[in-house]
Amino acid sequence: MVDDTLAILPLIREQTENGFIAGDAAQKIASRSSLTLAAVETLALQHSILPLRYKRNGLRPAEQLRLFRSSVAIIGCGGLGGRNAEILGRAGIGRLILTDPDVFSETNLNRQIFCTRDSLGQAKVTVLGEALQQVNPALNTSLHQHSFDISSITGADIVIDALDSADARKDLAALCRKMDIPLVHGAVKGWYGQLGVDRRSNSIVSTLYRQGGESTTPPRVLPMTVGLVAALQAAEACKLILGRGNVRDNGWLQCDLYNGDFEAIEQE
Amino acid sequence: MRVQVKLFAFFREGRFIKEDRELPEGCTAGEVVDALNIAREEVGVLMLNSRHCQFDTVLHEGDIYAIFPVIGGG
Repeated sequence: MVDDTLAILPLIREQTENGFIAGDAAQKIASRSSLTLAAVETLALQHSILPLRYKRNGLRPAEQLRLFRSSVAIIGCGGLGGRNAEILGRAGIGRLILTDPDVFSETNLNRQIFCTRDSLGQAKVTVLGEALQQVNPALNTSLHQHSFDISSITGADIVIDALDSADARKDLAALCRKMDIPLVHGAVKGWYGQLGVDRRSNSIVSTLYRQGGESTTPPRVLPMTVGLVAALQAAEACKLILGRGNVRDNGWLQCDLYNGDFEAIEQE
Repeated sequence: MRVQVKLFAFFREGRFIKEDRELPEGCTAGEVVDALNIAREEVGVLMLNSRHCQFDTVLHEGDIYAIFPVIGGG
């Protein structure tokens, strides 16, 4: 066993080609040392060596390291949550905290990326956790198969609102404001969606659900709307972590996929 | 008086995206919602000239009035 971090760096360098280290090589180094794969890849990133799986992200090693050291909590692992988990796991976020009390059912097949005929009846968080390991074995996941509570967001740098009820969203937003964690809100109905970043300074979620609730019947949700809004949420999360790009601040984005119309709503 | 009314998301279905409407003086935000056959409980946000308003807010000539539904699915 190789224990000394300094002794491992030469092993990493030995396996590095053109600034990249392949997943199998990093895994081999981890299994021959006391380090986890995540620790080996962190060490590589600290020395400007990129794990090969991130090559096409085109981000600098320092940025990739920043993503890898970040923790994102995803509340709700259905349509929006599953897509967010997939995108953020591939992008290279280091830790995902996934919360959802439910199991996959047949009506999820139209839009929930990890819902397959084989996963019907299985807990959503368990299926996501296993599938994400296949994509990115360096990813650390914490799985919470219950309704969200404070444990679902503790330690998170960013929280993704992927819930499906107005009341739960307002409760989550209040909790995130209390903990001072930015909440990336997304919601969908049919061909239409909305996106905003809720913070203490703007309370966007309270604004959007100010007038009250919605019908108790499950809303119609098309997969293209889910894919779009989840991608927008994941982009806001990554920009917040990287500290660059324009993050939606005061207002929110209305997305109308039916008319191909997108409007940034600013509030005075 | 003329007011520009803007609808968002599924409120556009069978109605319009944006329309200049001739309204009676003293007309309220809620009365426009009712006249469009939109159920008040489906409304999430009302905005008058980019500021939040209520169903009982009175509209004026030249106002831009936007009506947003509650969108809650995930």
